[in-house]
Amino acid sequence: MIISRQKEFNDILQLLNEKNIFIIGCGKCAKKQHTGGEIEVLDMRMRLEEAGKNITGWTVLSSACSINSWNDVLSQNPGIKMSDALLVMSCGGGISVISGFAGLQVYPALDTESLGGVCCNEVVTEQCGMCGDCTIWLYGGVCPVIRCAKSLLNGPCGGAVEGKCEVDERLCAWDKIFDRLKELDKLENLEKIHEPKNHMKKVRVKRT
Amino acid sequence: MITAEISPSKGTDTSQMLKDAVLLKDIVDAVNVTDNQRAVMRMSPLAACTILQEKGLETIMHVTCRDRNRLSLQSELIGACSLGIRNVLVMSGDHPTKGDHEGAKPVYDLDSVQLLGMIQKLNKGIDFSGNRLEGGTDFCTGAVTNTELNEVALIKLRKKIKMGAIFFQTQAVFDVKGFSGFMEKINEIGSKKIRIIAGIIPLRSERSAHFLNKVPGIRVPDDMIEHIKKAKEPQVQGMKIAAEIIKELRTMCDGVHIMPLGNHENTRTLLEMAGIL
Repeated sequence: MIISRQKEFNDILQLLNEKNIFIIGCGKCAKKQHTGGEIEVLDMRMRLEEAGKNITGWTVLSSACSINSWNDVLSQNPGIKMSDALLVMSCGGGISVISGFAGLQVYPALDTESLGGVCCNEVVTEQCGMCGDCTIWLYGGVCPVIRCAKSLLNGPCGGAVEGKCEVDERLCAWDKIFDRLKELDKLENLEKIHEPKNHMKKVRVKRT
Repeated sequence: MITAEISPSKGTDTSQMLKDAVLLKDIVDAVNVTDNQRAVMRMSPLAACTILQEKGLETIMHVTCRDRNRLSLQSELIGACSLGIRNVLVMSGDHPTKGDHEGAKPVYDLDSVQLLGMIQKLNKGIDFSGNRLEGGTDFCTGAVTNTELNEVALIKLRKKIKMGAIFFQTQAVFDVKGFSGFMEKINEIGSKKIRIIAGIIPLRSERSAHFLNKVPGIRVPDDMIEHIKKAKEPQVQGMKIAAEIIKELRTMCDGVHIMPLGNHENTRTLLEMAGIL
């Protein structure tokens, strides 16, 4: 699941120079996180109307990043054609896809943070560093690329105080990695020298 | 071995750095030159080391993984070696959010273990990608460690040794007994080749003790804080404590590293009190 958070309302308002706005939400990740489902879209509509904007309509696409036919979206949402701009309440993937079709100004209402998941009804953030070279099994299923603030692959930096990362309130990923590997009886993985990531695997430009 | 820490200047005025250099020149074996320590932007340690070496000091250049990718690290290291810098101290580096450029992109393309490995390659005359260099480097390479090591930290320390660290500089030591436990762990590793240089910070006040207690890897014992609190001249008491620690540590490890809070005006006196000078 793509983790996103809503931008500050005033920041959104500053983006919107246009008068006639159509709002698009997303029925997948953003809905689950309560950042861009129907409830949030309706709330946004109300606040923007209060701020003097003309909301030409709204919809929540089943998945903003996966659109089969923009013509279908247009025919089901005639308000889009009467709009000066779209406000999209989805992750960057959704905004990007919609921007490719829309032919008019598209603004994001959300900031995209990380690739996470849902575990026992709880949204968990920063689960995958999207490095394009997954070695998570070597770390007991805890991705050091994203869970460690410094993406260290060979052990902790020594900056944690009482188990807390030097950066913020998160717990040191390396304590978790150690615990998981111990549980799996795979502590020998920690002894391996892990080579730096090959960032060629992350970028889309492939060597020919 | 006695080493001391010098911060590159925050700007082009190098006068404070040079004042410290004059104070330290004849009393230490080498000076450590920090690399944007605590993620606060300063002059590059390569430039500062060059300036200090021109004044006749042996330098140990800090290299963090925070600000440069593998290309930049290698070119900086090759440049350093070409300018006569022979010692490097490798570390991850404090995260940008801890410093004065909080929004900077944290690089960490390599971690400290991988950086040590890359330096080994440069010393063999090849770069990270395996290309032959027109002249390799010749670095004596060290790393850093906390003295309180849990299992996972100890494993990382072993990896640093495996990847070519031949000396370790520790975080500031206040608890000598704790340090002896650390040395036992080092000796258990059974590597005779590595040298341990213990960090020393003379306390200046009760406040400085509380401040240091918030620094990762540093623990100032309560009774020591009490002594500082009761002392008429806390700074002098701090020096006495540091001198005693140095005396005890010298029998246990290979050297000490002086990192005062502020400048080096008292470092000579401290070393005299510790019976070194």
